[in-house]
Amino acid sequence: MSDGLDTFLAAAPWPQRAGLRLLVALVRRPRGAALLARAPLVEQAAWSTLTLGRYDDPAVGRALGWDAAAVVERGRALRRAEGRP
Amino acid sequence: MDRLEADFCVVGAGAGGAVVAAELAEGGARVLVLEQGPQHDPDSFTARPPEMLGRLYRDGCQTATVGSPPILLPLGRGVGGTTLVNSGTCFRTPPHVLERWAEEFGLELDEATLAPCFERVEQALSVAEVTPELAGANAEVARRGAERLGWSHGYLRRNARGCVGSGVCVFGCPTSAKQHTGITYIPRATAAGAQIVTGADVQQIIVEGGRARGVSARLADGRRLEVRAPEVVVACGTIHTPLLLERSGLGGACGQRGGNLALHPATSAFALMDEDVDMARGVPQSVYIDEFASDGFMFEGAAGPPAYAAMVLPLTGERHTRAMADYRRLAQFGLMVSDESRGRVHAVAGRAVIRYDLCDRDLAKFRAGLLRMRELFLAAGAREVYLPLAPGARPESARPRDLKLMAFHPLGTARADARATHGVTDGDLAVHGTLGVHVADGSVVPSALGVNPQLTIMALATRLAFGLLGRAVSSAPAPAGAHTSANGRAS
Ligand SMILES: Cc1cc2nc3c(=O)[nH]c(=O)nc-3n(C[C@H](O)[C@H](O)[C@H](O)COP(=O)(O)OP(=O)(O)OC[C@H]3O[C@@H](n4cnc5c(N)ncnc54)[C@H](O)[C@@H]3O)c2cc1C
Ligand code: SF4
Repeated sequence: MSDGLDTFLAAAPWPQRAGLRLLVALVRRPRGAALLARAPLVEQAAWSTLTLGRYDDPAVGRALGWDAAAVVERGRALRRAEGRP
Repeated sequence: MDRLEADFCVVGAGAGGAVVAAELAEGGARVLVLEQGPQHDPDSFTARPPEMLGRLYRDGCQTATVGSPPILLPLGRGVGGTTLVNSGTCFRTPPHVLERWAEEFGLELDEATLAPCFERVEQALSVAEVTPELAGANAEVARRGAERLGWSHGYLRRNARGCVGSGVCVFGCPTSAKQHTGITYIPRATAAGAQIVTGADVQQIIVEGGRARGVSARLADGRRLEVRAPEVVVACGTIHTPLLLERSGLGGACGQRGGNLALHPATSAFALMDEDVDMARGVPQSVYIDEFASDGFMFEGAAGPPAYAAMVLPLTGERHTRAMADYRRLAQFGLMVSDESRGRVHAVAGRAVIRYDLCDRDLAKFRAGLLRMRELFLAAGAREVYLPLAPGARPESARPRDLKLMAFHPLGTARADARATHGVTDGDLAVHGTLGVHVADGSVVPSALGVNPQLTIMALATRLAFGLLGRAVSSAPAPAGAHTSANGRAS
């Protein structure tokens, strides 16, 4: 699990946290994924959470044209240069 | 126990609370603001969705309604409240909504009365229309579709200064371009002598002899704080204000406290285009389509980095993976319903339980809206359209449980109504039946607005502050904002 996804899940109230961790664990395994496919909305929640972490990986993001570190760096530079809060 | 004193104790530092605090402090009052969340440092914003959702949103962005269908309801928590994480879209209250409020709720709020309040807020937040260059290719897809179909549309007005279109408004603006209340009104409040206490969870409003005497709060380190103040302004937001009133035994006589909850339920669709869209380049919410506003729904931009898109994309398995491989060519747009459904908030073991069921009329709006959304993307040249529906469901016959919904605009749980038998607060936003307690947040807004609410909330808060000071609202320019742009981009 990515650090970002950990932060995300850790901030959720315990029932959601436990539920989402379970869904992510299930959707990663073929038998779990097959089980989830029977309940489309639950399966969607599992995919949303799993892929929120997966596509947060900086290397994956860069391959898709997104560089979070560069966005942050540009923002910091502008704030410093222009005295923004 | 720690003790503090003030003329006004403002509870919550979001859209409503920050505005009231600044206007009162600049008007010469001793103001104390108690905010449950922290002061977020923009240096710690990473533009990475999961981490920012976990840090900037209440309950890690996992607040949800119970009902058919369940709806994710993100809320901000901290200095700036939900304005810290919102998209920055700014609409004045539509005139037909004000007319309805006058007729139905006896509120004396017309366009002319509110105009100076809106002017003040718009100046303070540097509200200006998004430029086509900043809007980006994602907005251009929707604009092109609307143009071809002859649908009414336009660029949105936003509270941003020196925006560079970095596409992460809802994950914390790394350039501090978005003029949320934490960097506009709160610094003004402190400059005028107001004191802000963060990590202060207000437990109760203290009332003696039918009049407010202050509040009691629990601080982040476990200590207790008691504030003595003859005037309390509650601004905890639509979900938490009714809970604080309930804990304090206030505003319950009319049976409306916690009820009348409107949400503007929303969803979004994706489309695969031929051209590169790179949806996270540009202002995510920069264009609106209001062709169907009188039918009760509207379209507004939505977009974000790959992790965000992956989370929201209404696909699973292999289809999800294939669509995300084409992320650079994906476009997204949002659909928002002006709801007639009404929900209710109450506390169970101290936590908010939000009950909300989509009524048939709102379901019909979603069905129509999703069909129009597909039409829009196809007119723009989409190869494929991904609607937010359960597998196998069709827009024209979708059931509530087939819809994948979120909501961003809770309103109405301490609704204003001139009659004590019908509203929690009166036309001046005072809690009926108690002296010295006012409400200044989304909870007083008595009906759905059909447009994004932050400006309405801030204008009402401005009017309240001036009313409490016993002065007419002046639309004179507010003090200069927190920063100036050296490159001429600032409005
Ligand atoms: C992702 C997202 C995007 C949005 N985009 C837009 C947009 O583009 N345009 C627009 O107009 N609106 C938008 N909104 C909605 C808008 O931001 C809110 O309607 C507005 O901020 C609500 O203002 P408020 O004062 O009612 O509450 P908030 O701004 O939520 O402030 C309430 C504050 O009270 C604090 N609080 C709660 N309980 C307590 C307590 N017991 N003690 C102390 N403090 C407490 C909270 O921590 C919070 O900081 C968006 C919302 C979201 C979630
Ligand atoms: S688009 Fe980027 S720079 Fe502009 S307000 Fe949003 S996050 Fe800030």
